[in-house]
Amino acid sequence: MPAKRRAAFFSLVALAALGLSLYAPELPSPLSALELTLPLKANSVRFAVIGDMGTGEKPQYELAGKMVEYRQKFPFEFVITVGDNIYDGDAPADYESKFERPYKLLLDAGVKFYATLGNHDKPNQRFYKPFNMNGQQYYTHKNGNVRFFALDTNYMNPQQLAWLEKELQNAGSDWAICYFHHALYSSASFHGSATELRGVLEPLFVKYGVQVVFAGHDHVYERVKPQKGIQYFTEGASGSLRAGNLKKSALTAVGYDRDRSFMLVEISGDELYFQTISRTGQTVDSGVIQRVTATSGVSSGPAEQVGPGAGYE
Amino acid sequence: MKRRNRVTRLIGWLSVFAVVTPGFAGQPRVPQASGEDARVFKIFTARVQEYVKLQKNVEASLPALKPTNDAARIAEHEHALARKIVQARSGAGQGDIFTDEVTRQFRRIIRGEFQGPNALQARRTIRPDNPSKAVVRLHVNDVYPENIPLTTTPPTLLSKLPELPKELAYRIVGRDLTLKDTKAGLIVDLIPNAIP
Ligand SMILES: [Fe+2]
Repeated sequence: MPAKRRAAFFSLVALAALGLSLYAPELPSPLSALELTLPLKANSVRFAVIGDMGTGEKPQYELAGKMVEYRQKFPFEFVITVGDNIYDGDAPADYESKFERPYKLLLDAGVKFYATLGNHDKPNQRFYKPFNMNGQQYYTHKNGNVRFFALDTNYMNPQQLAWLEKELQNAGSDWAICYFHHALYSSASFHGSATELRGVLEPLFVKYGVQVVFAGHDHVYERVKPQKGIQYFTEGASGSLRAGNLKKSALTAVGYDRDRSFMLVEISGDELYFQTISRTGQTVDSGVIQRVTATSGVSSGPAEQVGPGAGYE
Repeated sequence: MKRRNRVTRLIGWLSVFAVVTPGFAGQPRVPQASGEDARVFKIFTARVQEYVKLQKNVEASLPALKPTNDAARIAEHEHALARKIVQARSGAGQGDIFTDEVTRQFRRIIRGEFQGPNALQARRTIRPDNPSKAVVRLHVNDVYPENIPLTTTPPTLLSKLPELPKELAYRIVGRDLTLKDTKAGLIVDLIPNAIP
C-alpha cells in the first residue's frame, strides 16, 4: 500500500474508533458516587423503565451507560419500554445502532427487554425476539408478584379492550401494572393528555385495581398526582428530549425536562419504590407507593417522596 | 356464480360468528347494526375475509416468520410478502373493499364521530403526528412509508366500525381512512377525505 493511501486508511480507522468510543456506553463511575434511594430488599422485583429512546444518538448511549453503572448497585433483571423503540426506519442497521449497541452491556448481562409499540415503531418489531413480544401487538408477563400488561395504544380496538379486561380479571391478587406509549395524563405542551384513550382505559384500571401506569410519547419525565387512586408516570425522555416542554400544571407532582432520564423500580410485597435518574446521574425524583389490597384499605395516595430530587414540584 | 356462492356462504358463517362471539363488557363484537347497515357491514366483512385469505395463501409460500434475533429476516419477510401480494393484486384498485355503498356508510359513521359530541376528543386523538395531506397521499398497493409515524385511530371510532381481523387495521393518513395490512405494511384500500 502506498504511504499516502496507508495514511488515509489509518486515519479512517482512527476516525471509526473515535466514532465508536463516542457512541459506546461510557466507563462506569465509582460505585460510591451513585446515589441509590431504593431499599434493595431481599427477593424484590427490580426493573428499569425507558421510553422514546431509539434515536441512535449520543445521549441515548450516554443514558444507557448510566443504566449500566446503576445496575452494579441495583441489579435490575429486566427493562420495560414505553415505545418509540426505533425511530426512522427498521433496517437491520437501525436495530443495531438504536438498540443492540446502546444496550449491549445490559443484553450481554442477560437483562430482558419487554417492549411496547410507539407511533414511530413499525408493527413488525413484535417479531424481534429481544423485545419479548412473541409476535403480539399486546401481551402480558408476570415477574414475581407483579403482573404487567403491555398495551398498544396506537390501536385500542374493542378486541384489545376485551382482552385486557379478561386478563385483568385473571390477574389475581398481584400488583397490576400497565404500560404503553401515549400518556393518559401529561402536562407537556407538545402532545399533552390522551383523553380519548383515557376514556376507554381508565375505567378498566379503576375497576380491576391497576395502581401504576407507565407511558411516554411526550419527551419529558413527569409524575402525575394520583388520579382515581392510580399513579401515572411519563418516561419519554430516554433518548429524545423536548427540553422545557413540560408546563407545570395542577396534574404535576414532579417533572423533569432538562435532560434524558430513566426510572428504576423495586417492588417488595405491597410497596413499590421508584427512582428517576438523569443522564448525568442526578436523582430527579424518588418515592414509594403503597398497594391497596382488599383487606388493607390503604390508599396509594400521593406518592411519598423520599429524596429531595432535582425535578421541580 | 361460483364466486357469488362462496361470498354468500361466507356471509352466512360470519352472521353465526357475530351472534355467538362474546365481546368486551358483554357487548357483541360487531357494532350494533340493523337492516341496511347490517347488510352493508356484511358485504365489507366478506371482502375483508377474501383479502385475508389471499394474504394467508401468499404468506404460506414464504418461510414462516417467527420471533427472531435477526432483524434482517423480519424486513425480508415484510418486503417479500408485500411484493407477492402486490403481484397477486396487480389489478386491485380503490373501492374493491370499500365499495361505493360501504364508503357511504363509513363516511356517515366517521362524520358522526368527527362532527358529533365526541368531535373534540376524536380530533385531538388524530392531531399529533398526523401527516398533512399535502405531504402524503397513499394509494392501493403502496407501502406505508416508514418515516410517517402512526396516528392513533380514535378508539371510539373503532368501536363503531366493523372489527377487523388482526391482519388488517384502520389507519388514518392525513384525511384519508386507509385499510392497512399489518404484516406487509401495504395499503389495501382507502376512503379519500374520509375525515371531514
Ligand atoms: Fe411517540
